[in-house]
Amino acid sequence: MKCHVPGPNVKVLGRTIHALARFGDELYLESLADCILLRTLNASESAYAMLKFNRNFFSYFNYNYYSTEDNEGLKCKISMKSALNCFKSPAHMDKQVENLEIKLDPEQCKLIFQFKCKHGIVKTHFISILDSKAMEAVYTKDLVPNRITSSQRILSEAIGNFQNSDDQVTLEALAQSVLLRNYIDANVDLSKIIRTQINIRSVEFDSYIIGFETIITFTMKEFKALLAFAEALSLPIQLQFESTGKPVVFIIHNGSTIEAHFVLATSKPDNVTQGTSTQNSSRVEKSKRKDSNLEQGSASKKLHLDMEVSKCLDEDSHLFNFVDIPCDIVDKNNCDNIVNSEKTCVNNSVMSAMDCDNIPASPTSRTMIKSVFQRCFESTFDPRSIQRVVLAENSDSE
Amino acid sequence: MKFRAVMIDTGPMREFSNIVTTISKLSKECVLRLSTDQIYFIVSDDNSGPTPPILWCEIPQSMFFSEYQLIGVDDEHKDIYLGFISANLARPLVTLKSAKTLKMKLTKKQCPCLTLEIEMPSSTSPQTRHVTHDIPAIVVPRKIWSDFQEPQVPKPDISIELPPLKQLRTSIDRMRTMASDVVIRASAEGRLTLQIKTDMAKVSTRYKGLRVDTFEGPIEHSDSETESQINEDLSRVCVCRVDAKKLSMFLSADQISHNRIICSIVHKRLVILCLQTDENVKLQCFITGIVY
Amino acid sequence: MESGKTLCSLLKAIQFQECAVFCAMPEGLKLTVEEGKCVQASAYIPADNFTEYHVRDEVDVMFKISIAVLAECLNIFGSGEESSLKMYYRCEGSPLLLVLQPQSVHNVMTDCEISTQTADSLLDLRDEDAEEVAKLILKAPAFLGLLVDLERSCDVLELNLSPEHPNVSIVTYGMQDRSCIDVPKSSDMVQSFSCEEPITLKYQLHHIRLIMKALALSTKVVLRFSSNGLLLLQLKLEKEDQKQMFSEFYIVPLLDD
Repeated sequence: MKCHVPGPNVKVLGRTIHALARFGDELYLESLADCILLRTLNASESAYAMLKFNRNFFSYFNYNYYSTEDNEGLKCKISMKSALNCFKSPAHMDKQVENLEIKLDPEQCKLIFQFKCKHGIVKTHFISILDSKAMEAVYTKDLVPNRITSSQRILSEAIGNFQNSDDQVTLEALAQSVLLRNYIDANVDLSKIIRTQINIRSVEFDSYIIGFETIITFTMKEFKALLAFAEALSLPIQLQFESTGKPVVFIIHNGSTIEAHFVLATSKPDNVTQGTSTQNSSRVEKSKRKDSNLEQGSASKKLHLDMEVSKCLDEDSHLFNFVDIPCDIVDKNNCDNIVNSEKTCVNNSVMSAMDCDNIPASPTSRTMIKSVFQRCFESTFDPRSIQRVVLAENSDSE
Repeated sequence: MKFRAVMIDTGPMREFSNIVTTISKLSKECVLRLSTDQIYFIVSDDNSGPTPPILWCEIPQSMFFSEYQLIGVDDEHKDIYLGFISANLARPLVTLKSAKTLKMKLTKKQCPCLTLEIEMPSSTSPQTRHVTHDIPAIVVPRKIWSDFQEPQVPKPDISIELPPLKQLRTSIDRMRTMASDVVIRASAEGRLTLQIKTDMAKVSTRYKGLRVDTFEGPIEHSDSETESQINEDLSRVCVCRVDAKKLSMFLSADQISHNRIICSIVHKRLVILCLQTDENVKLQCFITGIVY
Repeated sequence: MESGKTLCSLLKAIQFQECAVFCAMPEGLKLTVEEGKCVQASAYIPADNFTEYHVRDEVDVMFKISIAVLAECLNIFGSGEESSLKMYYRCEGSPLLLVLQPQSVHNVMTDCEISTQTADSLLDLRDEDAEEVAKLILKAPAFLGLLVDLERSCDVLELNLSPEHPNVSIVTYGMQDRSCIDVPKSSDMVQSFSCEEPITLKYQLHHIRLIMKALALSTKVVLRFSSNGLLLLQLKLEKEDQKQMFSEFYIVPLLDD
């Protein structure tokens, strides 16, 4: 793989890396025939981000520059810290950098970022490749009932009303408006915390489709990071979500060169709703209240949100499913190979693989909250079983 | 108990936000006393139990609110006293600087709250947005109301106008890095000196030509602590040693657009700093002297 | 002195130790601090920066003083204010006296007495026998720009100088990664380059970072490398009134193990 990024786009790339760094500690890079994908996943596996840079983002693009075999791009994992190091100050990078060359050094197993800067200065970063794997999450978008397009400014202004200590935000989508609240954990002392609610009318948004009124809660840190990214690029944000417990997808794209997907797990709505909240929310509140005890246990772990794994393996529902493909797989469609790769992943205890593109809508809520990949570590785990699984109806069973 | 008030003018809203921000810088907790004509912010010393307030701020409600409704517990107790974490009150109010209206009311939402309903303009459309903050409050029981009465202070020996607060604060902040307390001396001739003394250095910043409001001399200097300056009649000089940090904190009140600030000194015992605004807001800070 | 502002920033730039040796010579004032036995930094204010400057010829005026206290006193009216400065010192054991008066406000002044101590001897890092093997003159802001982007967690900075392209190469080693900055002598930021033989020197990055504050104030920096590896950096600060002040850093190299 070898590509050149022109000066102004280096800034965009820098912003991207900084946004991704707010999500995860590792950066997955994959080059395909017509684009480069950057992905990351946070440690608690509740937030995922994917950036796609189309071929025309680059001034030169050759995805299999070093490869003797055709059809093979680069897949690698590097530490986010290393990547951040290359893009220390994205704000004025466009003024200093004339051109950036990214290439793989196959002999040293290094990824090379070479910045050609003003004054004839050349900065070269040789970054160690930690792994030659790709990672991919599977989530539903486009088909979901709720879609909002918003200028990033509306959302940033709304978030500005919250306190810095607020770490999760609840979004209540109603037919005519959106309510944003700071999420109050059930075991927080109410006499210490400010409860804030913002009512934004639907007409403020560029587009607004709520097919199914719902309440979702997600983390503030990642939300702020993606807002900052949208702000830096002055691009609107599309929110796509389904219902409580299903991931919310934020899409930021400029239509031609880049497309970003930020996926956040959502948890159940807050137990403590404001008095000013609508009837709808109080109804949900009632139905959720019986779950609050169970919820507290996981809430203390904060981030590991609603990623339920039911007891029954056949009904196993994962929020994110990863395709973990070692470099040497030639035929991706070969079933055995996939199984092999899945075994590797189990051994690495990093990811699991699953084939599913559509998550059926499931209005029911569940009560179990566990680590997504817990199953993978159990000795009886059979990776093949997962292949058959189409993400099933989430069960109410305990 | 019932309380409801509305603000619709940007000037007073900005001012109100500045006042509360300043108070939050001076204290962790504060008491808001609501009465028919005035609202008060009262701060007691954080560490030392029931002592007279160290900060007293009175705000005439009619200058700020277009609507103001207050019903106390009964006819004898018409006021309401609410305790807050100062920062909880200040942070939501910061947004008032761009707000259109503010409604304040007392609510009970699992705990007593002061609910702020702020109407914000939208930057992208002619619409407005409604932001609601429920700020938890503690209703102060009647039996301890007496702890929050206006402090009775001895008559000051001198009252002198202060130079611009920002200037003063810069100097105090430099001094604060070198010493923990600073000596303030004010003379009937309109001189004001701030002085620190440590093993490393002795630093004095002297102002002259300041207006003296009142002087109740002559002052008796019983010890040798006060060094006389050349051509100075010591009996016309007041001195008080105070904590540099507390002094510096009060000086951060320069955010509030004031028309005058008076420093009153009870010789060796107390410094009273009093800030007054055009809207008749009066903010007083009481800093007890340190005696060696 | 018309304004103590620049002096104050210069002192803050070398304020990585509590105490400095204050030395008044007929040519000017010099304040020196040392970090371990590895770095020696000085601020030098030539006499022409002062509107009036008197030093007695027959004695060395030299004493130790808290640089932190001195800087705070010079800054008593804040960094936004230009204040005229008068400085007096009588004899060994007596305090340094400062009188400051802001230019924009007339009813206020500050006087300071800062205690002084007898000066310790300073290191002499220069080796008369070691000759200069390379000399480099760079634009200070551009050089600072390079240092700012260096990874903080690295311990060692390797400097390769060579008459061949790319002439100057700065290498840092991170946990797994290696970064390298090449600066050819044709670069705009290089004003002069002289080096006969290729050399490689290593310094503690922490030591190099000590110069950054001073670099931020300066326009030009001269790097001189001795055959024993000692690096001397001379930084020139140009004031609005065309007068110049300087700072100087001696940095001891890391020896290969």
